[in-house]
Amino acid sequence: MSSSSGQSSGYDLSFKILLIGDSAVGKSSLLVSFISNSAEDIAPTIGVDFKIKMLTVGGKRLKLTIWDTAGQERFRTLTSSYYRGAQGIILVYDVTRRDTFTNLSLVWSKEVELYSTNQNCVKMLVGNKVDRDSERVVSKEEGLALAEELGCLFFECSAKTRENVERCFEELALKIMEVPSLLEEGSTAVKRNILKQQQQPQASEFGGCCS
Amino acid sequence: MEEQTFVSKARTAFHSAAAKAERVLLDFKSDREDHDKQSSPNTFTGQQPEAESPHTNENDSKLRSELKHIKWRPPHLGIKQDWQDRIKNIRRGRKEVEDTDKVGDASMAVPFYDDNLYLLNMKNDLEAKASEAIPSVESLTAATKDPIPPSSVLKQLAIAVEAGSKAKSMKDLIASSGVSSPARERAGLSFSAVKALVLREKEDKLTSEFTSNEKVVQLINSLFDPEGDFLRRKINSNLEETAMTSLPRDIHGAPPESLVVKLAEILGNYKTLRKMALFWCRVVAELRKLWSEEQYLPGVPQNEIPDLKSCLLYQHFQVINCCISRKRFRIIATESLDSMMMQANSDIKESTDCCAGAPASPVLYARLNSGELVLRLGADHPAGDMTLLETGEPVYSPITQEGPLLTEDLIRETEEFVLRTGSVGAGCSQLLSDMQAFKAANPGCILEDFVRWYSPPDWTDNEASTEDSDVFDSGEPLSTRGQLSQRMQKEGNLWRELWETSKPVPAVKQAPLFDEDLALEGILNAFEDIHPSDLFGQLFVSLLGLGFAIAEPMLSSNSDFSKLFYDCKEYIIVACQNNKLNEKVDDLVQVYETVEKMLLDPEEALKMIRQTEESTMVTGEPRSPFRTLSLIFGGKDKLLRKSVSKDQTNDEEKSGRQSFSSFFDSKSSLFGKKPPKSGFPSPSAKSSIDTGWTVV
Repeated sequence: MSSSSGQSSGYDLSFKILLIGDSAVGKSSLLVSFISNSAEDIAPTIGVDFKIKMLTVGGKRLKLTIWDTAGQERFRTLTSSYYRGAQGIILVYDVTRRDTFTNLSLVWSKEVELYSTNQNCVKMLVGNKVDRDSERVVSKEEGLALAEELGCLFFECSAKTRENVERCFEELALKIMEVPSLLEEGSTAVKRNILKQQQQPQASEFGGCCS
Repeated sequence: MEEQTFVSKARTAFHSAAAKAERVLLDFKSDREDHDKQSSPNTFTGQQPEAESPHTNENDSKLRSELKHIKWRPPHLGIKQDWQDRIKNIRRGRKEVEDTDKVGDASMAVPFYDDNLYLLNMKNDLEAKASEAIPSVESLTAATKDPIPPSSVLKQLAIAVEAGSKAKSMKDLIASSGVSSPARERAGLSFSAVKALVLREKEDKLTSEFTSNEKVVQLINSLFDPEGDFLRRKINSNLEETAMTSLPRDIHGAPPESLVVKLAEILGNYKTLRKMALFWCRVVAELRKLWSEEQYLPGVPQNEIPDLKSCLLYQHFQVINCCISRKRFRIIATESLDSMMMQANSDIKESTDCCAGAPASPVLYARLNSGELVLRLGADHPAGDMTLLETGEPVYSPITQEGPLLTEDLIRETEEFVLRTGSVGAGCSQLLSDMQAFKAANPGCILEDFVRWYSPPDWTDNEASTEDSDVFDSGEPLSTRGQLSQRMQKEGNLWRELWETSKPVPAVKQAPLFDEDLALEGILNAFEDIHPSDLFGQLFVSLLGLGFAIAEPMLSSNSDFSKLFYDCKEYIIVACQNNKLNEKVDDLVQVYETVEKMLLDPEEALKMIRQTEESTMVTGEPRSPFRTLSLIFGGKDKLLRKSVSKDQTNDEEKSGRQSFSSFFDSKSSLFGKKPPKSGFPSPSAKSSIDTGWTVV
C-alpha cells in the first residue's frame, strides 16, 4: 500500500531553494504567488518559513523545498543557517525602492558568499513589483548589469499580477539541473527520502511488537 | 473578545511551554548528577602513583646504548669477527634465533651481504624500540624543526581512521587491550610480537597510569597553554591570506595553527590506538575543566559563530569559546543592571529626603504622559534621533539576546525539525525576546515604535507630520503622524499578538534563547561518544591541510616542483570533498609523502619526476589527470552504492542529539503554525497542498 502510493506520487529530483533580500521586497508574496496563485498581502515573515511545490520541467518531476526568510537585520543570524546545502538562491529586490537594490551588493551577496556551503549553487536576481511602473526607480538595465556582475540569472516580475513568477522558478530549476554536482545532490536527496520511508514501517512494527 | 481569548490561550501555551522547558532542564540536571557519580571512580584511579617512569627510563637507556653500539661498530668485518659476535649474542641470552640463522646462511655465501643484513636487522630493532617511545613535549617540539609534520604522524592517523571504522566507539578502542596495534602488525617484526606478548600482562596496569603519566600531563598543559608556542611552525606569510586559508576550508579541515591541528599532531605520534583513545578522553576531561572555569580554548577564535566550511570538531571548539564569551558578557550586563537598579533606589530615597529631582547620569529614565518617571532597563544606546510616538521620549535600542550557535549537525537537525513540524518557533522566540527587551528599555512605547525600530519598511511617515514637526500637539491623533504597512495592519498578524503577549523584561533577565550550559553539555557528550573514524578522519584532514598550507609558498615558486605540487593539491581537494574518506587515506598519505620528499629530499624527488615523465611518454597519457578522473568516477559509484551507510550515520547523529530534539519539541506547541481561516479559499487550498506533499 505505502510502497505503491510512494511510487505513484514519486518525483525524480529534490532541490532546496532559498529566498533572501531586504524586508518587504515581496519574498513571501512571490512564494505564495508561485505556490497557490494568491496575491494577497502577507504578514511579515518571522524567522523562516517554507513551502513545497511539485514541478515538471525538462521532462523531470521535481520537488522544490522553498525556504522563505525574514529580511529584518535582527533575524540574520537565524536565517543564515538555512543557506546550508541550498542548490538555488533567489536574491529579491523591490524596483520601487533603490536601497533594496543597493543592499544586494552591500549585504546579501556577501551573506551568500559567507554562509552558502554549495560552491556551485545557482543564483538568481529578481526585481519584484514591476506592476508599479510609475514608481519604478531601478531600471531593468541596472538589474541586468548587477546580475552579470554577481554571476546570477535575472528576472523582473510581479507577485501581484503573477507576471514572470512561474518562469522564475522554472528557469532556476532548469539551471540547477544543468550543474552535474547539483543534479547528483538532487537525486541523492530523493534516494535518502525513500530509505527513510522504508524505515518508518519497520519502526512502527517494532513499536507494535513492544506494546 | 476574540482577542482576549487568544491572549489567554497564548498565555496558557506559553506557561505550558515554559513548564516543558523546565522539565527538560530538570531531566538534564539529573543526568548530570549521574555522570558526576560515574566520573568519581576515574578521579580516584587517577590519584594512584606513577610506576611507568622507571620503565620508560630503562627503555631510553637501552636505546642510547644500542645507538652507541652502532656508531662504534668497526669497518671491514671479517669472518672471525662474525662468529665471535654470534657467540656473544648467545651468551647475552638473546632469543633472536631466527635472525642468527639468517646471518649464518648469508655469511656462508657472501661476507659483504652479511654485513649489510646485520645492519638492517639492527636498524629494524631500533625502529621497533623507537616506536615504543611515548611522545613528549620535548620530542614533539624537536619535530617542529621539520618544515611540515612528518608523514609517519599522518600515517598513524590513517591507520586509526581505518581501524576506527571497525570499532563502535572510543571505549571499544580502550577496552581492546588484548589486540595488538595494527601498526605493530604492519611492522612485521618478530621482536615486536614477542614484546607485545610480554607487555600484555602489564597493559591493564598501564591503562590506569596513563592519565597521570607525567608526559601526558605535560602534553595536555602545553596543548592548552594560551601563551605557549608549542607545535608552532614557520608559515610563510608572503602568500595572500585567502590563498593560505582556502585549502583547509576546501577540504573541510581546520585552520593552520588551530587547536585541532595541534591535537592531530599529538595523537598521530602515539603508536597504539588505545593510547590515542586514552589521550582523547584526557582532552575531553580538560575541556570540561576549562568550561567549568570559563577559560578560553587556545588556538580558537573567542567570539565567532561556527565556520561551516571547517570540520565539525573545529566548529564545536568555536561554540565552546563563543559560549564562554557570552557567559562573561551576561555576568557583566547583569551586574551593570543590578547596580543601576540599586542606584535608582538610592536616588529615590535621596529625592524623597531632599526633594531633588535630578537623577544620576548612568541611570536612565523615561517620562510617561502622566508625568511619571519610569526606569529604563537594559537600554544600550539611543536609536538615532527616533522618539516615542506617544510620549516624545527618545527611543533606545535595547541590549538583545544573541541567536543560537548552530554547528552543521545542529543546522541539519533544526531544518529537518522545521520541515517535519512546520514550526516557526525559533523566529517567534527571538521576536518575542526582542519585543520584551524593547519594552523594558522604552517605557510608554507602542507596537508602532517597535516596528519603526525593528522593521523600518513597515512604517510610513506622513509628510504632513514632517511639515508640522515644529508645532507639537500631543492631542493629535496617531494616524496623522504615520501608519503601519498594509501587511502589518492585517487582521490576525502574529506581530501584534506577540506584542500584546510580551512583558517588559530586559534581555539578561529573560529565559535564554540559547542555553550555553545545555549546548556545551551536548557537545562534550558528543565528544565522549564520538565515533573513532569521525574523530581521526577530521584530525587526518586537518593535519593534511596544514602540511599543504605550509608547503605551498615553498614549492609554488620552484619551477621543478610547482606543477607536481599543484597536481597533488588538486588531488587531495577532490578526495577530501568526497564523503568516502576511509577509502582514500592510504592514497592521501602517499600524496603527502610526495610533497614531503619534495621538501626534504629534492634530488630524489626530481628523479621520481623524471621517471614519471618517462612512463608518461611510454603510455602516451598524462598520469595525474587520469588519476583524478578515476577518482571522480570511482567516488561517484561508491557514493551511490553506499547511501545506506550514510543514512545510518545520520541516524547515529540524531540519537546523540535527543536532548536538543526534546528541547525543540517543548517550543513547538507554543509557536506551531496557525490554522488557516475557513473564510478564505486560498489558505485552505494551501493547507491541502501542504498536506498532500507531506505524505510523500
